[in-house]
Amino acid sequence: MKVKGFLLLSLITITSIGISITSFCLRNSVYKDYYSNFAKVPMEAVPFKAMTDGVFPWTKVSLPENKEEKTASSAVTVAQQEAREIKEFKTVDDSYFDDALFIGDSRMVGLSQYCAAIDSRATFFAKKSLTIFDIRNKEWIEAEDGTEMSIAKALEGKHFKKIYLMVGINELGTGDEERFRKVYAQVIEGLKYLQPDATIFINSIMHVSEEKNNTDELYNNTNINIRNEAIKGLADNRTVFYLDINEAVDDENGNLRAETTGDGVHLKGACYEPWHQYLLEHGVE
Amino acid sequence: MTFSDLNFIFRLLPIFLIIYYIMPASLRKWALLLGSLGFYYLNEPRLILVLVVMTVINLLFAKLIKRTTSKAVLAVIVVLNVSVLGLFKFSKLAGLSLIIPLGLSYYIFKMISYQVDLYRGKIEEVSFIKATDYFLMFPQIISGPIAKFSYVENNPMWLKAEGAKKERLFKILTQIEEGLKLMACGLFMKAIIADHLAVLWSDIKVIGYESISTPLAWLGAYAYSLNLYFDFWGYSLMAAGIGVMLGFPFIRNFNQPYLSSSISEFYRRWHSTLGEWFKDYVYFPLGGSRKGKGRTAINIFIVWLLTGIWHGYTANFFVWAMSICVIILFEKFVLSRSPKLLAIIGHINVLVIIPITWVVFAIHSLSSLRVYLLRMFPVIDVSVAVNKNDIYYYLSDYWLYLLLGIVFTIPALTGFYKKHKDNILVVLCIFVMFFISIFSLSNSAGNPFMYLRF
Repeated sequence: MKVKGFLLLSLITITSIGISITSFCLRNSVYKDYYSNFAKVPMEAVPFKAMTDGVFPWTKVSLPENKEEKTASSAVTVAQQEAREIKEFKTVDDSYFDDALFIGDSRMVGLSQYCAAIDSRATFFAKKSLTIFDIRNKEWIEAEDGTEMSIAKALEGKHFKKIYLMVGINELGTGDEERFRKVYAQVIEGLKYLQPDATIFINSIMHVSEEKNNTDELYNNTNINIRNEAIKGLADNRTVFYLDINEAVDDENGNLRAETTGDGVHLKGACYEPWHQYLLEHGVE
Repeated sequence: MTFSDLNFIFRLLPIFLIIYYIMPASLRKWALLLGSLGFYYLNEPRLILVLVVMTVINLLFAKLIKRTTSKAVLAVIVVLNVSVLGLFKFSKLAGLSLIIPLGLSYYIFKMISYQVDLYRGKIEEVSFIKATDYFLMFPQIISGPIAKFSYVENNPMWLKAEGAKKERLFKILTQIEEGLKLMACGLFMKAIIADHLAVLWSDIKVIGYESISTPLAWLGAYAYSLNLYFDFWGYSLMAAGIGVMLGFPFIRNFNQPYLSSSISEFYRRWHSTLGEWFKDYVYFPLGGSRKGKGRTAINIFIVWLLTGIWHGYTANFFVWAMSICVIILFEKFVLSRSPKLLAIIGHINVLVIIPITWVVFAIHSLSSLRVYLLRMFPVIDVSVAVNKNDIYYYLSDYWLYLLLGIVFTIPALTGFYKKHKDNILVVLCIFVMFFISIFSLSNSAGNPFMYLRF
């Protein structure tokens, strides 16, 4: 069936205007978090951005505080923590990872793909662009049948003795370090609840290369260090430990060694060994 | 700001189109000139000076050539244009670090084309407005297509239209509709196919070439080939589409190159406005194929040497251009004796050799290139920490974009579009494609890495 005239033009114009009006009218409710840089993100883009997070015009606006304030620091956990003694790092061998879980973003994905020694023993819940917010809120772990599940669901019936975390670079443009620390703390509390016997290792956010550091306004080591400082304090050296893995991968100026990275952000496939060695040198029994 | 920028799509372009068509027909060329200057200024606020100076110089010389028809004058302006291009492109070699003005190659190529066509008597009069519109028009200034001057000569929208107001409005809207269809298709190719496959290619770089499996090295070569194809074809379609919206004819830059039965044919169909430029202003003036086999071979060599240098001065571009040159000569002088053999080997060349040459094109450092090629052909083992299953990981992430790339490479699709572009289902399909592209662009907008999230 042929149409003469300007159907496409009309459809696109009407839809665009509709989207703009929706976006503009809901700018203070549903889309509040998505209005940032007007010059870079025009209001037509806002509903599409929100859609990726499952936020639609009819989505009910929930108060973000609801979830965040419930830091489950019950008296029991505190008592349990204090009962445990302060521990020191020890060198371990690869069998240490037999009952370990690794959670993280693309850098952790890299570790699973290019460090066979760990990958053959440990479990990985790693996903490109994963954030601490995703770990807390989303269903992001792929089950065998292809569906996605939350961390709580994925850990049902599982028993891990060690949990390694590395996230934080994707969050650099979102919120401030205080919010990051708060959500990180919630995730740790959640993990403690789900896996009470596990020792949790916070991996510092890995640095970027000097070139990247000097040219990127957002993804640079100054910003990374601010975030690392924020989460460092979450370690109690009893059940939660902070691993400054940058000690293993940095050059003398505190940047990711240039020859070990192709894009300034990720380790090359052949360069995961220093991180692996660092983990071996920082076991806790 | 490129054509796939949301602010361009939803703000600049519609506003410009409204202003352009509100103007009386005779003033539209001036609107285009002002719009183009504004567009260029937004993208290149300082080096717009180079563009303006070169335009003025070329206009002065054009007047002189028209009046004197002197070959010497033509030679001076051609040398001047080439020198300016060379100065910026190769300043790094001389230890200077000049920033190359946006689209410099493209407007200089148009300026040379204009002067030569003027000298050859193909352009009747030197019109300030038409010439500047030709040099500066915003749909083509960033990276082509490299139109000939005749492209701007017959724009029906610049002539006073006959008929009632309603009729004229209908004509304008259908003209915009035609261009919009092309632009939406191009946007989809760029934002969905090319931009996503670009991430696959950059992931491979991130792993390090020494750590990729041989199947992944091949997948990478094909993914990069498709990325390059749809990035450029998509861009060219958007540029052509915007041109059509303004009343210009459709300008074809890609004509199903992967259907070609030889590499020389491939390059007549790939970025064909550049190929034609080299043919008309380098190959033919050198004598083309009319002066014997030896001279033909030398002329082909010169064209490819210049093509290589034009793309960049790193050694890989030289290797890239020379390998294509050698294959073309081989096809022309050896394989052509047996048309059947040429047909078979030619197709294989296009589908296998071309992706390999794109790898050479993409990897600027020769030592990295060596590693990549040795991963494709593992005659010497340079591998370190290869994950044998890496290809499955990438296929599961990128299969959709690879599949779309293959589907859009099928030549029948273009024929289908031409035949059925006014069918309501096709229009609805383009509408959906447009908003899928917008969805994807929205989620990368404001992110300096496009889709690169870690």
